[in-house]
Amino acid sequence: MLGALGIGAIAAFALAPSAASALDRTLSIVAPWEIGSTDPSKSGYVFTRLEVAETLLDADDSGQPRPALAASWTVSDDRLTWRFRLRDGVRFHDGTPMTAEAAAASLRHALGKPGPLKQAPVAAIDADGGEIVIRLSEPFGPLPATLAHNSTLILAPAAYAENGQVTQVIGTGPYRIERLEPPQRLVAARFPDYWGAKPAVERIGFLAAGRGETRALMAESGDADIVFTLDPASQKRLRGNRKLQVHAVPIPRTVALKVNAGHPFLQDVRAREALSLTIDRAGIAAAILRTPDAAAGQLLPPSLPEWHVAGLPPLGRDIARASALLAELGWTKGADGILERGGQPFRLTLRTFPDRPELPLIATAIQDQARAAGIDLRVSIGNSSDVPAGHRDGTLELALMARNFALIPDPLATLLEDFGPEGGDWGAMGWTEPRMAAVLAELRDATDPARRAELRRQAVTLLQAGLPVIPVARYQQTAAVSKRVEGFTIDPFERSYRISSLRWAP
Amino acid sequence: MIVKAVGHRLLQAVLVALAVGVLTFLLTGMLPGDMAFRIAAGRYGYDHVTAAAAEAVRAELGLDRPAAMALGHWLWDLLRFDLGDSLVSGDPVVEEIAHQLGHSARLALTAILLSTLLGLPLGILAGLRPGGLVDRASLVLATALRAVPQFVVGILLILLVAVGLGALPVAGHDSAAHGLLPALTLALGMAAVSSRVTRDATLAVVRSPYYAFARTKGLPERAAFLRHGLRNIGVPVLAYQGVQLVYLIEGVVVVETLFAWPGIGHALVHAVIARDVPMIQGTALVMGLTFVLLNGLVDLACAAIDPRRAQA
Amino acid sequence: MRDSLLNGRRMTGLAVLAAVAAFAWAVPLLAGADPNRQNLTAILAAPSWAEPLGTDHLGRSMLARLAAALRLSLSLALLGVLSAAVPGVLLGIAAGWRGGWVDRGLGVLADTVLALPGLLLVLLLTALAPGTLWTLYVGIALVLWVEYFRVVRATTRTLAGSPQIEASRLLGFGPAYILRRHLWPEIAPVVLTLAAFGAATAILAIAALGFVSVGVRPPTAELGLMMTELLPYYDEAPWVLLQPILAVFLLVLSLNLLAGSRKP
Repeated sequence: MLGALGIGAIAAFALAPSAASALDRTLSIVAPWEIGSTDPSKSGYVFTRLEVAETLLDADDSGQPRPALAASWTVSDDRLTWRFRLRDGVRFHDGTPMTAEAAAASLRHALGKPGPLKQAPVAAIDADGGEIVIRLSEPFGPLPATLAHNSTLILAPAAYAENGQVTQVIGTGPYRIERLEPPQRLVAARFPDYWGAKPAVERIGFLAAGRGETRALMAESGDADIVFTLDPASQKRLRGNRKLQVHAVPIPRTVALKVNAGHPFLQDVRAREALSLTIDRAGIAAAILRTPDAAAGQLLPPSLPEWHVAGLPPLGRDIARASALLAELGWTKGADGILERGGQPFRLTLRTFPDRPELPLIATAIQDQARAAGIDLRVSIGNSSDVPAGHRDGTLELALMARNFALIPDPLATLLEDFGPEGGDWGAMGWTEPRMAAVLAELRDATDPARRAELRRQAVTLLQAGLPVIPVARYQQTAAVSKRVEGFTIDPFERSYRISSLRWAP
Repeated sequence: MIVKAVGHRLLQAVLVALAVGVLTFLLTGMLPGDMAFRIAAGRYGYDHVTAAAAEAVRAELGLDRPAAMALGHWLWDLLRFDLGDSLVSGDPVVEEIAHQLGHSARLALTAILLSTLLGLPLGILAGLRPGGLVDRASLVLATALRAVPQFVVGILLILLVAVGLGALPVAGHDSAAHGLLPALTLALGMAAVSSRVTRDATLAVVRSPYYAFARTKGLPERAAFLRHGLRNIGVPVLAYQGVQLVYLIEGVVVVETLFAWPGIGHALVHAVIARDVPMIQGTALVMGLTFVLLNGLVDLACAAIDPRRAQA
Repeated sequence: MRDSLLNGRRMTGLAVLAAVAAFAWAVPLLAGADPNRQNLTAILAAPSWAEPLGTDHLGRSMLARLAAALRLSLSLALLGVLSAAVPGVLLGIAAGWRGGWVDRGLGVLADTVLALPGLLLVLLLTALAPGTLWTLYVGIALVLWVEYFRVVRATTRTLAGSPQIEASRLLGFGPAYILRRHLWPEIAPVVLTLAAFGAATAILAIAALGFVSVGVRPPTAELGLMMTELLPYYDEAPWVLLQPILAVFLLVLSLNLLAGSRKP
């Protein structure tokens, strides 16, 4: 009797929720990032990656801007007025046409919220016929790249409430949201009136799963068609799975130590160099990241060929040289093996955060390796905001971070933010290098390609010599893809999951 | 009597609401780190949390208000059933909790159901034949299950049932099938204990004089058990379910994380990390009140099964 | 049917617990390996003479880490349970003995604490000083004391009106005598059972907090954290992952056996 009651109840329960799995041919995508909000400034990346919403411009695999919602663009001779001609015949998901007024309004909303556009010297954004006119207060080369950032995506006027909050995501992309359940679930179907080529996959389901092991198991069981961000151990296991294909592409994200160069222990560049010499990058790459070529010998990766200086001697490990440099600075080994100077032990706090699970691991590895040279690091694992907050109140000593140098597809914008005259929340701290400021300032305005290449080389060389941040390792974007799906590629700028170019295997 | 019991639970509910409000205000006020930076990290992610973003958050939310004033506002709004807006997403807390509580309740109900289906028959069988095979086997199983952390049980279930057999999905929350593995993970832990409670209750009933009398007066075994046994076993078992609710409401955090289930425990963890005070208060309040409500229901159910308790 | 204080099952539990504790405290004396010393060229090594339990994903000695983690779990659980039991028992006796407004006031307090999500308390406390042990310990004690209070109060209240205690009182014995002679023998076994269950709960709770990265932080060796960190290697090096699982299993099992058959 009780059993029958139970079975009845389970059956009744089973009927209650909507059975989305019954809809055939839904491409299921799993990634770690949650959908925090409908607002592009907070969760825009989800909507551009799933191709629900689009930006004025896009970027190709080398980061060069290319047309998206804007078909073409021009800049005035004084480099202060940019005009973007919009594509014709684009419709929002609510059926209304995308007008220049609507697009300009979206950009003005983005300008009012934190994000890369706010950091550009924008004076005004207006609609003029079929064009958007952006007036700057001073020249800013990376503007096209800024307009490719997901926080600047274009939504229909009906998407915004009166106070500027985005209440629903009404974009222009090839997929239209059917169901949005923050923080973890999104289902979207093909949008029939899309302006571009019609995608082959008719429906997509996105699930945010925070734990790496859950994601790996979902790939293994065939629950998910595409699983992004595999932990190193699972990657190895999934490569042996016949039903899956594992993709890995280097992305312009570098694990680096942010150094307080104003700290008495770290003021001298030789101290920073010594710290860098203690780090076993090859060991970290091979043992923790399990990608031997992930060791970072300079800050910017080879995948950004414009910003990678091939001839630069790579940073490496040399404990003897580190010890010698520290001895030059007056540090002597104490009884417990820790260096001392004037009665003070060489003890620093290394902050990091668990949002990327390998960061705490790398931090403990660095802690162990620095000890070999007598540097005592205390690892403090907190919140990502501890890094900018510590930068501002001056308490930060060292921080291990994973910095994306292509937040917008042009790394110059990130470098300007990180290594400007006053340093940056995620860049230099207490580091004074007037040449760097001059180089970046010139780079911002220069147009001659040869001169720009020379300036980039100078900037990278200055960073390698001064070590305001110490590069450690590089990231790869990884994905396990079911063989049911064909045509998969990874966007090295993580702007899109490129679902619209996928098709089902016959 | 029932009026008094209900009154007692109401008082408890009011006190819980007050305690949640005061505690969260006191503790969140003491938490280290700049709240604006924390909220900015929760909103914009680690790539975009900068001092500029934190300043924008501070200006938008007016974080410089004194704590006492904020507490007063919260209590006043609570009286009007308004829990405010999430500082991170900007959506009303009530909406977010409704979504998450719904998922958690689905999970919890399935877990209770499964644990009853597993634990009750096993416990009764064991209690009817103390020292028998079922009793010994279920004791070993229960002892072992209680000594394994929940997430290990969950991973094992995923490996065996989802990856090995391909019988159920690994994670997600679309269909009823998605709910079974996380619910089973919770249910196994609960059944491990409730089967033993049932076993002891059954044993006590079977050895009691009234049960012996029922059988000597000639009732067949089955009728004696159904009429005199089950009801008396019900009370301690049901009362124990009330105790287990705490475990359920809180044990879900681990299970929710593992199975990518958007529940209330998950929400609370994230709210604390992001210093989303209205969300912390809202989720804690809902959790506390759910506990009081369910325990009240358990009280009433016990009274209904055993009329003597209602008069006691 | 009260369990005798030292039946076979309890003895087994005590023996296992003692063995685990002996392992935890003997390892650092015998093999002085540093639980945080890494060797990235020898990760996930199988057990050998040099490393009897193998190495973890950062090439650290599993023997040293396991012992350190067991010491942490045992100390934290013991301390937390003690700090919960002492006020819980004292307040329980006070409430049960005095009755009246003391009883009512404390009862209301206990009811409120019970209904407050313990998770909230622990989360907020651990957020006060992330990664520190004292917050975990205070959290455990704050959540656990209510149980002692409720049980001891109920026991005391039944006993307070009993003829034996009446008799002692009439004979002019003071509260200290009555407490020692009549109350304590009744309360002690219950408290022991609660303490063992509480310690088991605490150990599992600390492990679970490690899993959602709220509790102890790396590189500290803690059983839950070790399981979480080693989980991805379940296929590659199952013997390493099994060690912390087995350690928690033995600890909790022995404590549950020690507690007796079930909760009072």
